[in-house]
Amino acid sequence: MDGGSIPAPPEPVTYLCGDCGADNTLKPGDVIQCRECGYRILYKKRTRRIVQFEAR
Amino acid sequence: MEMDDLPKGELPPHLELQRTRVVCAADAPSYTESVQYSGAYMAYDVDNSLRMEDFRKNFRVEIKSLNEDDIEFDLIGIDAALANAFRRILIAEVPTVAIEKVYIANNTSVIQDEVLAHRLGLVPIKADPRLFDYKTDEEIANEKNTIVFKLDVECTHMGERVKNASDQLKWLPAGSEMPPDSKTKFTSFGCSQDSLPAFTSEAIASRYPDIVLAKLRPGQAIEIEAHAVKGIGKTHAKWSPVATAKYRMLPEVVLLEDIEGDLADELVRTCPVNVFDIEDMGPGERRATVARPRDCTLCRECVRGDGWDKRVQLRRVKEHFIFSIESTGALPPEVLFTESIKILTEKCQRILTELL
Amino acid sequence: MEIGSEVDPSSATFSLTDEDHTLGNSLRYILNKDPRVSFCGYSVPHPSEARVNIRVQTTGAPARDVLKDALHDLMAIGEHVRATFERALEQHKVTRSMNEMSMRSGLTSQHTSGSVRDQ
Repeated sequence: MDGGSIPAPPEPVTYLCGDCGADNTLKPGDVIQCRECGYRILYKKRTRRIVQFEAR
Repeated sequence: MEMDDLPKGELPPHLELQRTRVVCAADAPSYTESVQYSGAYMAYDVDNSLRMEDFRKNFRVEIKSLNEDDIEFDLIGIDAALANAFRRILIAEVPTVAIEKVYIANNTSVIQDEVLAHRLGLVPIKADPRLFDYKTDEEIANEKNTIVFKLDVECTHMGERVKNASDQLKWLPAGSEMPPDSKTKFTSFGCSQDSLPAFTSEAIASRYPDIVLAKLRPGQAIEIEAHAVKGIGKTHAKWSPVATAKYRMLPEVVLLEDIEGDLADELVRTCPVNVFDIEDMGPGERRATVARPRDCTLCRECVRGDGWDKRVQLRRVKEHFIFSIESTGALPPEVLFTESIKILTEKCQRILTELL
Repeated sequence: MEIGSEVDPSSATFSLTDEDHTLGNSLRYILNKDPRVSFCGYSVPHPSEARVNIRVQTTGAPARDVLKDALHDLMAIGEHVRATFERALEQHKVTRSMNEMSMRSGLTSQHTSGSVRDQ
């Protein structure tokens, strides 16, 4: 049943506030709210993986 | 049929006109086909076949203007089929080097990844393509077939927009730096590219350093590695070495009768590119002459009015081509032309080896 | 690839792959100018496929030899064009440096460039 699901991610993920753009580190279970301005919509940052494109 | 008044071996003037000129009347051009059949003028004892000695004797090249990016020259004595072959090869089959693979590590700008990659592909790179080999997809990228560039820009929080121009594309002669953590990089360069003799003096960069790639606002960053390979224009237009290559036939403007006085003034007025000039023949006599036929754009304004097509005839000389080549910067334009001739010869050679 | 010449070698169709109008039209022009050729034409059967069919019918000589001669002629023409072009380039560079030198030495450009243009 537990087909290889990862336990709680070890690295804290940073999200960007929709209003002020400040970084917020959140752990699973935290209240979803910006630390600085209290805005409740947070965006995830762009992936760090390298994406390949053909210049065509 | 005996025509004793004509010397044998020469065409009568009306046939010579049909053979060597295209008459551009107001409604449509005539005699546009080049007469190719070798026995077309057998009745006049004129041999229309291709004889190499005659070709060598009559063929001329005149260079009109030459600078770093453009060349304009005349090819006289060659047929349209061959001139067009050179033009087609210049546009589509002379190889260049252009960015093909773009590895994006970070792009937080408003320009989408694929749009940015497309723009990077179109940037002209000042690298001699003859020094590089082609690269297939299966081959590993090495220093003989790939050029690696890096673009690493960020707009800091100063409230100003940062413009991201092509002079910020830095050349990496030692090969790829990505992926940053793994041991094997994307390329395996045997030796650093700046140790090769052609590249020690000048870094490989874009030909024009002021091409805007993207515009960034505070907090946005772009981190990209781009790999450039050799290719031809047929695959994708970014590999075309010319901005354009074109030719036109030499225009010829003929005054069928003397045009004097007020008619001459009117003629000079109608031409938008000032092909005609007034010649003073003495007290009160003004005659029109053709001063700059080469500038004529064949707009046919001078034959448009009443009766003017009986006074002026517009023609084009069939075997005289005015070539104009504009290079995008990888190779100088005169080298481009010699390369296109070499490619035509290679094509013939390939068929010859197949036939044997 | 040559088709149709098993019975009669003087007429054949040559089907060339990876070619287009660039070589097809030039070869057709050169072949037509050959006095041994009674008929010559080329076609691109479909624009999506890079193939050119060249049909050659001669007055007796084997079509393959006539095509070979035409290819050699095309190569010779190309070589001659290249040599003439490079000679013209050299001359252009010489006249341009002469013009620059005389302009720098203070002669009026009318005298020098006029004579150069007459050449």
